[in-house]
Amino acid sequence: MNAKVVLKIARNLVIVTVMLVVGGWLAFVPSAKESPYRFVTAWGEKGNGPGQFNDPIGIAVADGEVFVSDSRNGRIQVFDLDGRFKRAFGTPGEEPGKLGRPMNLAIHRGDLYVAEYFNDRVQVFGLDGTPKRIVGKPGSGPGEFKAAGGVAVAANGDLFVADFYNHRVQQLKADGSFVRQWGTTGKIGVWAGEFNYPTDVALAPDGTLYVADGYNDRIQAFAPEGGFRGKWGGPFAINIFGPFNGWFATATRVAVDKSGNVFVADFYNQRIQKFNADGAFLTSFGTPGQGPGNFNYAIAVAAAEDGTVFAVDYGNNRIQKWRPAGRVGR
Amino acid sequence: MKMTWRQTVLIVSLLLMSTAAVAAPQVYKLGVDGLACPFCAYGVEKKLKAVKGVEKVDVDIKTGNVIVTVVEGAVFDQATAKKAVTEAGFTLRGFEKIPQGTSK
Repeated sequence: MNAKVVLKIARNLVIVTVMLVVGGWLAFVPSAKESPYRFVTAWGEKGNGPGQFNDPIGIAVADGEVFVSDSRNGRIQVFDLDGRFKRAFGTPGEEPGKLGRPMNLAIHRGDLYVAEYFNDRVQVFGLDGTPKRIVGKPGSGPGEFKAAGGVAVAANGDLFVADFYNHRVQQLKADGSFVRQWGTTGKIGVWAGEFNYPTDVALAPDGTLYVADGYNDRIQAFAPEGGFRGKWGGPFAINIFGPFNGWFATATRVAVDKSGNVFVADFYNQRIQKFNADGAFLTSFGTPGQGPGNFNYAIAVAAAEDGTVFAVDYGNNRIQKWRPAGRVGR
Repeated sequence: MKMTWRQTVLIVSLLLMSTAAVAAPQVYKLGVDGLACPFCAYGVEKKLKAVKGVEKVDVDIKTGNVIVTVVEGAVFDQATAKKAVTEAGFTLRGFEKIPQGTSK
């Protein structure tokens, strides 16, 4: 083989590689359709006093109040929309009213639903902190949990629970009786309808169920009747993680705003990503660090009625408030 | 022999010191691969806390190090640690007993 042939082969290899990279980028790295959000303020620091946190993990917003699961302190803290402390409830423990590592939160018709990792249950409180009832117990049977990670509540009161160590999502009636599940109990999978440590769930206004499929680095969507609707997160959404638009590095929270947009806490990428209801990437915000607008692991997000977004900055033990900066482009 | 008050104080102090030494907790450092976020860190913590004698578990997700404090007299060996970590879905890559006073 002479030098001319070698050069030709090398040139062709370079061309093919460039085409693959460009094609892959165009196919799997979408551009933003909205401008990033604008950082407004942040509050909190490490500690156990009012307004301090020790592992803040979950967040929910309703009626002008922000609810935060202060996990290691075993309590829920409540703030106004500007971060002023209002009240707290719960202490570490197993008895009703106590909390064992509260995780992602949901609010439905004046009640706060708390997924408890250590107690393997969902506990329901009034928004004033009054304990109301407990759903679930430890185990792998129907209506049982192995580390409840997140919960969503349907209009009819049914609960949807991310059952983290059982690798499934369960739908239960309000009294805890089993309705159905997605995923195979105790079995990890990367294909459609399978899970790899699901961390959270959310219900859209149209009844679509979104699942943060944590270690599969993706979001899965299911129709109200239960059928698989779609998934996104990296090429083919099959547990390929990365830092690009629309990709994830451990999805720890999924939340839906009143328009049906989907927000995802992208833990290791230190950012919040926003998608439309079909999973098309819209924008993202947050960069690594400790300053304004920086995250030291973004673990949760919640959207208020007016479009304001609150995010939990896990490693910095604080809550961040962001607002849309206005739409651009197409 | 008549004991002076100084001798009494000395003997009581020595007895208290020796009791404290016997009752001192043991501290172990576990290296765990794959810890990614609080969801898995809490899983390791939950499993280790279920082991008899374990009174405290501190997980550092950045380094993957897990510091386990065990009450004096409890059995906590590498096999026990490995079982708990494996059941939590992770791999134990290191196990060492930390001499008291150097756990930080």
